[in-house]
Amino acid sequence: MSRGLCIAVPNGVLLEGTCALLRRAGIAGLTPQSFDAALLVEDGANRLVKVRPTDVPVYVEMGAADCGIVGKDMLWESHRDTYELADLRFGECRLVLAAPERSPMGMGDWPPALRVATKYPRAARAFFDRIGVAAELIKLHGSVELAPATGLADAILDITATGGTLRANRLVEVAEADRSTARLIVNQASLKTRFEAVNEVATALRRAVEERAPV
Amino acid sequence: MQDASTVAGAGAPRGRAGGFTDWLPGAAERRRAVGDAFLDTFGAWGYGLVSTPLIEPVDTVAAGVGGASQTRLFRFMDADGSLLALVGERTVSVARVVATQLRDGPFPLRLCYLGPVLRNAALLGGRRRELLQAGCELIGTPELAADAECVALAAEALGRAGLDGVQIDVGHADFLPGLLESAEVDDATRERVLAALSGRDLVAVEAALAATPVGNAERSLLLRFPALRGGREILEAAAQDLRAPRALRALEQLGDLWDLLGAHGFAGAVHLDLGAVRDWEYYTGPTFELFSGDLGFPLGTGGRYDTLLGRFGLATPATGFVLHLDRCCDALARRGLASGGFSVLVVGHVAGEAAAAIALATRLRRAGLPARRELRACAEDADVDVLVRGAGRVVWKGAGGRREVSIDDLLSQLTVGGYGNGVFGTRDAADVGAQ
Repeated sequence: MSRGLCIAVPNGVLLEGTCALLRRAGIAGLTPQSFDAALLVEDGANRLVKVRPTDVPVYVEMGAADCGIVGKDMLWESHRDTYELADLRFGECRLVLAAPERSPMGMGDWPPALRVATKYPRAARAFFDRIGVAAELIKLHGSVELAPATGLADAILDITATGGTLRANRLVEVAEADRSTARLIVNQASLKTRFEAVNEVATALRRAVEERAPV
Repeated sequence: MQDASTVAGAGAPRGRAGGFTDWLPGAAERRRAVGDAFLDTFGAWGYGLVSTPLIEPVDTVAAGVGGASQTRLFRFMDADGSLLALVGERTVSVARVVATQLRDGPFPLRLCYLGPVLRNAALLGGRRRELLQAGCELIGTPELAADAECVALAAEALGRAGLDGVQIDVGHADFLPGLLESAEVDDATRERVLAALSGRDLVAVEAALAATPVGNAERSLLLRFPALRGGREILEAAAQDLRAPRALRALEQLGDLWDLLGAHGFAGAVHLDLGAVRDWEYYTGPTFELFSGDLGFPLGTGGRYDTLLGRFGLATPATGFVLHLDRCCDALARRGLASGGFSVLVVGHVAGEAAAAIALATRLRRAGLPARRELRACAEDADVDVLVRGAGRVVWKGAGGRREVSIDDLLSQLTVGGYGNGVFGTRDAADVGAQ
């Protein structure tokens, strides 16, 4: 198959790192500004589309994009069936359980009917199942850190990169549930029908990642 | 202009459940034509048609599919309190039929089916919840030739429906688990690696293997799983330094299957894919997927499932496949092959000739030519294909203009078009009366 790949890149915090990695890997000469004029950019043989991070797995599963770059945190919540081919090791963040500074939870004293607010109910369910805690989850769509201060929940399960937001809201980390970095995901059919092109992209990305952060 | 909502009444029910489709004339005809092409091909290969219920007991369905798929079933309660489900696939129903009513064979038994299946997929996900599936099951033989027949038949049926040149990826359900089996890892690690593989998560495979004593040959094969693909030559490459007997046997079978598929005439279309990741609870031997090259999903999937019938009390090997008819229609549309519609001749008549028009339409239909009759008398210049004027004469509106011909000439010169190829759309193809 001669035509290039359609690659979905995430808008938001991962955009700059994604563009930088694609440049270093020699896949596309992109900067975040490349998308100022249009959300679909042709670059050599490939086409790149900038979409919301949560939509990257949708584009890739449905075959609208052959592959995509997306944070693992987006994959926790998506029910989408894609191949996860490589850890791109940037955009690192952690999923943590955090409670108010003065909460007894910091001392390991968890309320028996723990109420946890989160934007990540599936990841939260997996975490609490793993540690054997019966938590009541409250799904929120944003500003999760407000939930304990307003009495909506005892604690929150949210991602944090620097811990700044937690500190600003007088929350402390109680436990780490998971870690997230950017991943390369691929459509199940593209991996088979456009294997050469997909493998070239995956190999170039892996090499660029290794060069930056040798194991 | 009236507001649309006032036409049917503002409170009139007009909802349709999310994820379901109304197939309108044209699209519905094309969909049926694809199904007909599949069933005709299955029949030509000696597969007998079975029709099974849309509803099965949950216990029956559960014997076939894994836990994850069970959560995507529409389930409800019967009058006696037992749990029922709308079928999410039909192989399990065929297996139930074989294990009960057809248990005396004669084996090998060749069966095929066509019917809807339902999936309780999340709303707004872009996934269809009612799908039409056609498939074949070849039951009662462990022969590799049976697996080859299924692959070839699936590709042949797709070709008959207009989907030529599909890519066939053939793998083996024993290869990756066989590698792990001989790798001397504990059960928990093995489960973790297999779960990561079936989750198609190479990053998790790497993480799970990192802290294990998996041998180098096995480890490098496992970590390259998406890249283990190519022609017959990859089998030898993969077998090097490999001691895992189950994995080696899988490689040997794939080699034989490769040769058989060559004999079926599909040598150029087959890719061997050692990293094929399929449901290991279900598949026990060769597996395959068929791709169109312009669609993000496989058109068909299949493989050997030697343990399924045993769950219904008849321990016998089996292999088979399913074709996803809606995806096939999508692929045809992508290839621009779905533009032709159901075409039909329009028969009109001038005042007083209704009976002659009815008789002509009847003769056309009996000759295999779809005909639709104007219910009222037409003007001389009406936009119809055939205008009945009386005295055994009609006006045929061909590409070369309007021509008066006799009914007998018309019938002798029109050819049967059939569905989807637009014979009557391009009137030159069936032009009558041109000398």
